[in-house]
Amino acid sequence: MTETAVQFADVSASRGGRVVLRRVSLSVSAGQTVALVGRSGSGKTTLLRLVNRLLDPDRGDVLVDGRSTRSWDPIELRRRTGYVIQEAGLFPHVTVADNIATVPRLLGWSAERVAARVDELLSLVGLEPELYRGRWPDELSGGQRQRAGLARALAADPPLLLMDEPFGALDPITKGELHAEFQRVQQTLHRSVILVTHDMAEACALADQIAVLHEGELIACDTPGNVRASNDARVRTLMAAVRLTTSAKASAVKKPDTTWVQP
Amino acid sequence: MGSTMNELLAFIASHRAEMATRLSEHVVLVAASTAIAAAIGIPMGVVAARRPSWSRPIVGFANLAQTIPSLALFGFLIPLPLIGGIGTRTALVALTVYAVLPILRSTITGLQGVPPAVVECAVAMGLTPRQVLQQVEWPLALPSIVSGLRVAVVIGVGTATIASAIGAGGLGDYIFRGLAMVDPTVILAGALPAAMLALAADAALAAAGQLADRRRRATRHVVVLALVAALAVAIGLSGRSAAGRADLVIGSKNFTEQVVLGELMAQVIERQAGLKVERRLNLGGTAIAHEALLSGGIDVYVEYTGTSLTAIFNEPPAADSEAVFQMVRDRYAAVGVTLMPRLGFNNTFAILVRGEDAKRLGWKTVSDLAAAFRSPPTVRLKADATFKAGFGYEFLERPDGFKGLSAAYGLQFAQAPRVMDLNLIYRALAAGEIDVTAGDATSGLIETLGLTVLDDDRRYFPVYDAVPVARASVMRQYPAAAAAIRSLAGRVSAADMRRMNFAVDGEKQDPAVVVRAFLDRIGGFK
Repeated sequence: MTETAVQFADVSASRGGRVVLRRVSLSVSAGQTVALVGRSGSGKTTLLRLVNRLLDPDRGDVLVDGRSTRSWDPIELRRRTGYVIQEAGLFPHVTVADNIATVPRLLGWSAERVAARVDELLSLVGLEPELYRGRWPDELSGGQRQRAGLARALAADPPLLLMDEPFGALDPITKGELHAEFQRVQQTLHRSVILVTHDMAEACALADQIAVLHEGELIACDTPGNVRASNDARVRTLMAAVRLTTSAKASAVKKPDTTWVQP
Repeated sequence: MGSTMNELLAFIASHRAEMATRLSEHVVLVAASTAIAAAIGIPMGVVAARRPSWSRPIVGFANLAQTIPSLALFGFLIPLPLIGGIGTRTALVALTVYAVLPILRSTITGLQGVPPAVVECAVAMGLTPRQVLQQVEWPLALPSIVSGLRVAVVIGVGTATIASAIGAGGLGDYIFRGLAMVDPTVILAGALPAAMLALAADAALAAAGQLADRRRRATRHVVVLALVAALAVAIGLSGRSAAGRADLVIGSKNFTEQVVLGELMAQVIERQAGLKVERRLNLGGTAIAHEALLSGGIDVYVEYTGTSLTAIFNEPPAADSEAVFQMVRDRYAAVGVTLMPRLGFNNTFAILVRGEDAKRLGWKTVSDLAAAFRSPPTVRLKADATFKAGFGYEFLERPDGFKGLSAAYGLQFAQAPRVMDLNLIYRALAAGEIDVTAGDATSGLIETLGLTVLDDDRRYFPVYDAVPVARASVMRQYPAAAAAIRSLAGRVSAADMRRMNFAVDGEKQDPAVVVRAFLDRIGGFK
């Protein structure tokens, strides 16, 4: 029905001589959000880093827009792939505006176009341009940094967005606000997104598809509803760890001011 | 303290032009060596930060270089081809060696301190490795690099004072001259500006670091600052090279008499031969002056035959002026150095008494003095039991000092000689605290304090005739210079030398002025 943005074809990868991914096959449809979930060390970050050639696979192929990453110029590939990590990874030595402007400037955009784009993106992620464009990263709260990081990743209008635990370091209320913000942005932009998280509730809230990794193998890939209903013991263990918090967080998204009790 | 301050201000006022030259030499030495060290240390630091396996040997090597004492490093460098010799180039090499480590280390520290997540993001955003370095790692490492530069500059300002010992000039000239003259005013004239220079340079770089901390435009500011510094160095260097290449280089060791004699050589060549002369005065000792002469760093300096014999050619001291001269001349000839005619004075030990005692008792020689204490005495002091001798520690201890002297002349005093500080003996004698001492035959204080030198009539003391030594090839190339030096043969008496020493040490006159007056007075010079 839709075209494929990213396809992992029988991919194996290792880091430091240790095999961390075993024969993973997975495809991400254009405009969809796929969450990679699993415990620490399950290989989800490695899988993500194969997409923008921060790593190359030992075996198999990663296809972006139908082309193997090996045949992409890594610089070109990365400039059309947004990247957001935990704590945002903003450049501490330049302002929020300059952070967001990084890739557009590398692409040779005019100063006016860059400035307009910066303001547009700040508004999109809910940061008042007048107030925030001149700020330094260390003058922002954790949630604001994450919003700025998202704006930076979206700056050059990349068709593909890679997010590695982008909301991992936030308090639950801020996390809920950002989930809502992400969903709103995604409803306007319809980017292909690969989201790494160890938070099953987050995956259920944000993703169209959930891919579950376990010790380097893909053990499930389905809609959130079907993953929840899975009979696989390993998937059920993951689900059990977060089931209790899900409803609380869902309500927190709707009513951020509600005082809620940690289960 | 107040009077010291006044003397210092007076000294600075009377040496304004020279001081400006020394200060600019100092600034150029430090700025150029720091710039070269940055050009070496920063790229090395970048490489080492990238490859941790390389960083250990690189830092280890730089650490090792740092531990070499500076004077020793200068000593090692003098005989080396290309980077060695004496003068600015060697000093730059040594100062650069010292400046590399702090810069290298701070570069590595700065780059390794860049958060990995920030670098990962930069790479993932599609910055090329070069852009990652320029736009992310470099600006984030800059405050650390600037702090390394600050350390390098402060070390450099201090170490550059020692560069004076190998003829590179700078403020160290005053420090070494002051140490040689035991004149705290002159030491301060070098040390105080050096300290202020260090503070000012540190403050300037700290300000640059502040700009670097103001983030975005930081890199541009630092680039501008570096350009300004480079420009200053270029102006300084071009100012020096505009002076043109000299025909001959005159050297001297680092005490007053040597500086006067170096100036004498320089002026007589300028006046008689009309050649262009460069002065490399205040070299740090006999060994450095000799090495400089052999390596061509200098072409002429004045040595003492006894010093050549014992310190350079390792022979026992001897007292026969002509025999020593010939022996030394042959040894010098073998290494391509021409011994010129003796200037006319012998800078050896001098047995000194008060002038009025010598006159009243008719003492002219050391033998006269010895006879006065033998029994039956021919002439007697009023109270010979109270007659006191006082000597410097070294003279008392050395076998060729007092022991040999008393054996050679049969000299016996009623009281054992007192040990005194060498700098005090002249005034102690004049004040009557002691009645006889052994001083320096060319000390400027002898005439001033009304002292008399008793002639060493048995030729006990080794001879130290002042004699110009010159590179034979240069003397062949410039016969007019050789003729000019020869024209001074026998024309500088011990009394002349004493007067000139006193004019510089006692009256604080400029050596150049003193020498000009001397040449005008003895006549026969243009």
